[in-house]
Amino acid sequence: MEFIQLKDVTKVYAQKEVLKDVNITINEGDIFCIIGKSGSGKTTLLNLISGLIAPTKGEAVYFSRVDQHEKNLHKNIHHIKKHIGFTPQNTSFYDKLTVKENLLHFGKMYGIKKATLINNAKSLLQFMQLLEHRDKLASHLSGGMRKRLDIACSLVHKPKILLLDEPTSDLDPVLQKEILTMLREVNKQGVTIVFATNQLETAEEICSKLAVIHDGKVYSQGTLDEIRNPYIDEYFTIRVQRGEEKATILNYLRQLPINKVIDEGQEIKVYPDDIAVTLQGLLHIIKSENLNLHNLDIRKPFLREVFEKIVKSNNKE
Amino acid sequence: MKSLWLLTVKNLKVLLRDKGSALIVIFAPLLIILILGLSYNNSGLYNIKVGVVAPAQSPDVESFISLLQEQKFTLKNYDGKVDNCLQDVRTGLVHACIDLPESLQVESNNPKEVVFYVDPTRINLVWMIQETVSSKFDLKAKEISQGLTDQVLGTLSTVKTDLQQRGQEVSGIQASTSSASSLASSAKNDLSNIDVNVEEIPVDPALAQNLETMVTAALDKVNQAQDELAALNLSSDQESQLAGPLKSAHNSLESTLPLVSGNSTGSIGYAFFLLQKNVQKSKEKLDAVKNTLAASSSNLDSTQATLQQTLDSLTALQNAINQMGSIIDQLKVTDSNTIAQPLTTKIETVREEGTYLNYLFPTLLIIVIMFSSLLLGTTLVMMEKNSSAYIRNFFIPVRKATFIAATYFTSLFLNIVQIIIILGISLIFLKDSLPIFPSVALILFVTASVFTFLGMALGYLFSSEDTGVLASISLGSLLLFTSGVIIPLEAVAPALRNVINFSPFVIAESIIRELFLFNSALSDVYINFLVLLSYALVLFLLVLIIEVILHKHLIKRAMQQHHLKKQGKKMVKK
Repeated sequence: MEFIQLKDVTKVYAQKEVLKDVNITINEGDIFCIIGKSGSGKTTLLNLISGLIAPTKGEAVYFSRVDQHEKNLHKNIHHIKKHIGFTPQNTSFYDKLTVKENLLHFGKMYGIKKATLINNAKSLLQFMQLLEHRDKLASHLSGGMRKRLDIACSLVHKPKILLLDEPTSDLDPVLQKEILTMLREVNKQGVTIVFATNQLETAEEICSKLAVIHDGKVYSQGTLDEIRNPYIDEYFTIRVQRGEEKATILNYLRQLPINKVIDEGQEIKVYPDDIAVTLQGLLHIIKSENLNLHNLDIRKPFLREVFEKIVKSNNKE
Repeated sequence: MKSLWLLTVKNLKVLLRDKGSALIVIFAPLLIILILGLSYNNSGLYNIKVGVVAPAQSPDVESFISLLQEQKFTLKNYDGKVDNCLQDVRTGLVHACIDLPESLQVESNNPKEVVFYVDPTRINLVWMIQETVSSKFDLKAKEISQGLTDQVLGTLSTVKTDLQQRGQEVSGIQASTSSASSLASSAKNDLSNIDVNVEEIPVDPALAQNLETMVTAALDKVNQAQDELAALNLSSDQESQLAGPLKSAHNSLESTLPLVSGNSTGSIGYAFFLLQKNVQKSKEKLDAVKNTLAASSSNLDSTQATLQQTLDSLTALQNAINQMGSIIDQLKVTDSNTIAQPLTTKIETVREEGTYLNYLFPTLLIIVIMFSSLLLGTTLVMMEKNSSAYIRNFFIPVRKATFIAATYFTSLFLNIVQIIIILGISLIFLKDSLPIFPSVALILFVTASVFTFLGMALGYLFSSEDTGVLASISLGSLLLFTSGVIIPLEAVAPALRNVINFSPFVIAESIIRELFLFNSALSDVYINFLVLLSYALVLFLLVLIIEVILHKHLIKRAMQQHHLKKQGKKMVKK
């Protein structure tokens, strides 16, 4: 179900187009990642989705369940604020309040009843593993705990959508993993998650949908496979155990419609003209010659590789 | 050395590129100096309003009033109603009240008293007014003193002329007296030459002759009596009783007769001869005396005439002296102190004398409230604005007005605590002021609101806390300098003063002064109170507008900076 949509959105800062004709659709329940390099327009896009800034051109809309139709997000931001949780890149809470006080303060600001709020706060503290630190001043928390508190503050009012700006930046891998795990759990509870990141591995790991942004333009969006598919059929690798087998395979491969074969020692990288025909022929040879194949990796390209290709191709333009 | 230069250049660039800092650090002091320079670049007092209470407009009073008008004082006549004038001093409608006597002419040895009524609470203004009015007053006193001295000198001159005229008369008297003296001396000599010595005369000869006759006659009679007795046929006893005394008398007379008869030495006749001789001599001498006395009498007649002349001259002189005395008596002012200081001044205050703390307390209260409110307003806004939670607050479904109101109430709460502490402590020194504390607290509450909103506006306008605080202090200082607390407002140029009179500090201070020092009711100051309240409301709306505009600006700037920062990183990478 469509949740938020950007329609031909352009944003201009200081006479410079930071976003150009962006069209994005975020569905309910998505973990939607906005990936791009630093300065590509990710944060601006996230801020537009959050309603923090308004587009210069175009329109951001949300689907109103009450009215059962689209509504302009910025014109109605005051009505939907309570459904949005926002975690900016830098932590956004009061350093001089304790963990618990921060949660209760923001919860009260959303008008949550005291009993509900206390329950929410308690479960959030447990969920974010902050229960034992609840009485510490926020300024005394470590980097990972601060990030968890920040997300907790965004979730205390049980929003329908959680927006995060580079939530795992500046965190070590263990903490990154913790945060991602938590986000998955949050998503499982029905919260749509949108986050901007330049950590492609993170996006690859968690996102159900992505938008690749470069120089203010969204070049690709959809599921990971949908983004990756255009770049998936370029090559596969074969790993063999013995030298003779490698020579046999190389001989047979040369008879197949192959663009290029690169011998990398224990691995053979094959660039077929038609991957299906090549694989079918290869499997036939292996079976008929009873070859002992150690590994055949018909690997999909990493998001990083896809991203680099997109960037590269668009830089050429 | 090079690094020192580079660091200095860098500091200047950083400072000047932060527009807010540059504005407040460099231009604010210049602006303050400019405003204060324009305000106080004069040496006179503008539009000092002086109330004049004069029962009658005598020429000298009018002349004194003209002198005051020359000083550019605005004078207000109270037609002898001093109480109205005092009330206006209390309310600040006039700055001083001068109670003049009916006339400034001094007509006795008692100097005339002029009473100045001033508001002692306006310490700096009191002395300035006193000094300026006193200088005019001294001028008038000098004028009167000069008049009195002229009168005295004129009288002395008249007396001197009179005395010169009378001097000739005195010379005449001197000559007459001298002549009378010589005549008297001559008479004295004449009289002293009169010989009145007469020799002693032991017996009177005439008397002796008479005595002889009388004794002879007596003897004859005794003889006749003896004969007649013998003729009487009296008994022997009766005859013996009468003949005995007659016999005795006959014998005595016969023995006396030789003494009183003849001119022999030792007889009474001789004695009378001598006496006659002496009388003759005495007569001669007395004739000489008679002549002398006649001469002396003539001399004394001349002396009498001279003395009469002298007496007349003396009478004329006495009259002249009496006349001079009456001329001198016409001088009504003879006391040297009065002549030197014919007018005395008396300074009265329009409220009971108190300590300087009494007078300064309203100002101190407002200064404390102003600075604490300004700084609290700015700091609280800065704290919120620069807080990492600022972005999150955007998503909180709470109105902006609520955020502003929360900041305002936080500041107000702290101010109320301060007010309670200050008023509580002040009770130790100002015990009698307790009944007016509710009104004072209300005014302080509104004042704190005005300055809190001003501080909040500054907080929104400036980007860094330091510059915001500096701006607050600068604004507070400006309001303080142009409030009349340090230099009287009356010394400010009239055009600027009209503006300054609307300064919230000036308004608040005047209300608190009214309440505190003159025990006025809140209803007496309701106009100023309404102005102050209007300020609070307008500033609240202003803060709201600034917040709305700046909120968008802040988000935009944050986004812009974020974007530019990332672009910069990209450039560095390239």
